[in-house]
Amino acid sequence: MSEPSPAFPRERSGARWQTEVEVTHGIGLHARPSVAFTRLAKSFPCAIEVAVDGSADWLNGKSIVKIMGARIRRGTRLRIRAEGFRAEEAIVALGELVRRNFDEDRKNARADGRPDGRPA
Amino acid sequence: MPVPMVVRMAGPRELTGKAASPGRACGPAFRALAPAAPPAMAGEDARAALAGAVTVAIGELRALAAGADAESAGVLDFQIEMLLDDDLIEPALARIARGEGAALAWAGAMDAHIAALVADDGHDAADTIGARGAGEDAFADGVGERGSGEDAFADGVGERGAGEDAFAARAADLADLRQRVLDALAGRPRADFPAAAIYVGDDMPPSLFLAHDWSKGGGIALGAGSTVSHVAMLARARGVPMVIGLGPLAVVAGQPLLVDGTAGRVGLDPAEPVAPPLPTIIPAAVAGPGGAFRLSVNLNSLSDLAAVDPATVDGVGLVRSEFLFLSPAEALSEERHVDCYRAILARFSGRPVRLRLLDLGGDKALPGLVEGGPASLLGERGIRFLLAHPDLARIQARAILRAAADSPATRDSVSVLLPMVTLPQEVAAMAALFDEEAARLARLGIAARRPPLGIMVEVPAAALTLDLFEAAAFFSVGTNDLMQYLSAAARDNPIAAPLNAGSETALFRLMAQIATTAEALGKPVSVCGDLAGDPEALARLVGLGFRDFSVAPSRLAAIGPLRRAMPAGEG
Repeated sequence: MSEPSPAFPRERSGARWQTEVEVTHGIGLHARPSVAFTRLAKSFPCAIEVAVDGSADWLNGKSIVKIMGARIRRGTRLRIRAEGFRAEEAIVALGELVRRNFDEDRKNARADGRPDGRPA
Repeated sequence: MPVPMVVRMAGPRELTGKAASPGRACGPAFRALAPAAPPAMAGEDARAALAGAVTVAIGELRALAAGADAESAGVLDFQIEMLLDDDLIEPALARIARGEGAALAWAGAMDAHIAALVADDGHDAADTIGARGAGEDAFADGVGERGSGEDAFADGVGERGAGEDAFAARAADLADLRQRVLDALAGRPRADFPAAAIYVGDDMPPSLFLAHDWSKGGGIALGAGSTVSHVAMLARARGVPMVIGLGPLAVVAGQPLLVDGTAGRVGLDPAEPVAPPLPTIIPAAVAGPGGAFRLSVNLNSLSDLAAVDPATVDGVGLVRSEFLFLSPAEALSEERHVDCYRAILARFSGRPVRLRLLDLGGDKALPGLVEGGPASLLGERGIRFLLAHPDLARIQARAILRAAADSPATRDSVSVLLPMVTLPQEVAAMAALFDEEAARLARLGIAARRPPLGIMVEVPAAALTLDLFEAAAFFSVGTNDLMQYLSAAARDNPIAAPLNAGSETALFRLMAQIATTAEALGKPVSVCGDLAGDPEALARLVGLGFRDFSVAPSRLAAIGPLRRAMPAGEG
């Protein structure tokens, strides 16, 4: 799905990988972006957690209830960390997804019937 | 169950039982199946039931998403993802672990999720309006087409941006999920039986009676049963002939039967069809309001609405709301409540309507929500159950608050009756719950009107201490239950039934005290039990000072004329 980017900023601490990314999507992680994020997170076997704006409260990145509850908005600094098998790949993929605005800015996410420009 | 003997060759025969609801009905027998094991819904079974219902709901949503356009599929994907999330389900499982049934646990947990969304949003809106407007309105106005600076300029004045709408949409999604899983928990609708048939069985669950269309006729023949059971009360109110206590019934399915609910007999293979089954239409030839006392009607179902001419009564003295909802999914659906109350209020526009909160427990069960049973007659019943399971009470309170606010015609005409009240604290707790829900609706900008709360007088402890119930706006005496609790004789136990009936003297002494106390307190008091539907007893009650009665639709024709025949009392 996402091309692992060698330039993507990330840190390693033991078996744990962490990255930080700013949410630039218009509204933040509302319904559709949350689905995209948690579905991608669940495709990895490692544990994935997110924290918002420097909060020490790490939330399960595979839970849409937790992600929605965090009300992640535009401009939020989102930290993503993963631990376990394919952890590095996971944080890169999730970080890229956020950077790509959850693939939504290429899709006119409007209710007025504009053509769906989502990539296949 | 014994193998039915072939009895047709024996010619006409008759079984003798006990009359439970007058009238005659003729039709083919419908044999009730042996009662299936009730769906055990506690503990592990409730967990399994909920897990199964969630799986069903996910399957339904996936099927919907498969055929949906991209936009709709996005919404459905979100709902599917929610249902797949253990964090969504976990609070419901925790409630099941504390002993709640699957449906109530699920509805309560989902309400908490929804409340968290709405409440958090409210705080956010108040705290960070300035910080939010710009970015979130960008969503509504076309992401990527404008910069945030422009949005801030264009939309800075809008305090409710798209952000709040997005949250509201999530709450609606959760409400949708809540109902979908409740529907799955309720399973298929209960098996009905053919119209105009004679129901034959040991006993009949009230919900089955209520789900059936009796307008084509039909009757009930029970091997066991009781004249004071709720199903008998419903049958009398609807004018459905019913005979009980027939003993083991050797009747084959389809066999022609004649139920004589007046004589208490059932004829097998009647020689000639005695009378064609008549539709049970309540005669409307009842004198209009006015006279010696006020006369209202008790409603058990929305079909009663068509059977009562509002012009013939002073109002609705009792809506038995527990009979309006035939499954936990319905009882837990705020919109279903609102629809029912609106229908009733519209029909009786402007006349007083007393909505009784769900009186569940005892022989009024909703499997998956309330198991009921004889033990709960002295246990978790009526307001006790509602206060122990406030999620259900809050749903009903919100629906009543909304319905009461609906139209100017219903202004002040709606009041609420609390069932099975024992102590004043229960009234205070329910009043607080109504106030909280009214405040919550106000925060959401939804019109609400807080109706006065009165109490059913049916527990002797309350009947003897009416002066302590300052919080109650009015009293309504439920003579059926009061009699049962006074005599310590269960009304659905044939062995104890004579004791119940024989305690009339005690009941009338207590009624005298109730009338005197209510008058001294200056609070309205009415009688809504079956006693008021008996002309002789009603005359005695008028003698004691009661001037406000509410009776079943089928009793209006007998009681209505008494308003003018009886000398007007001074009360």
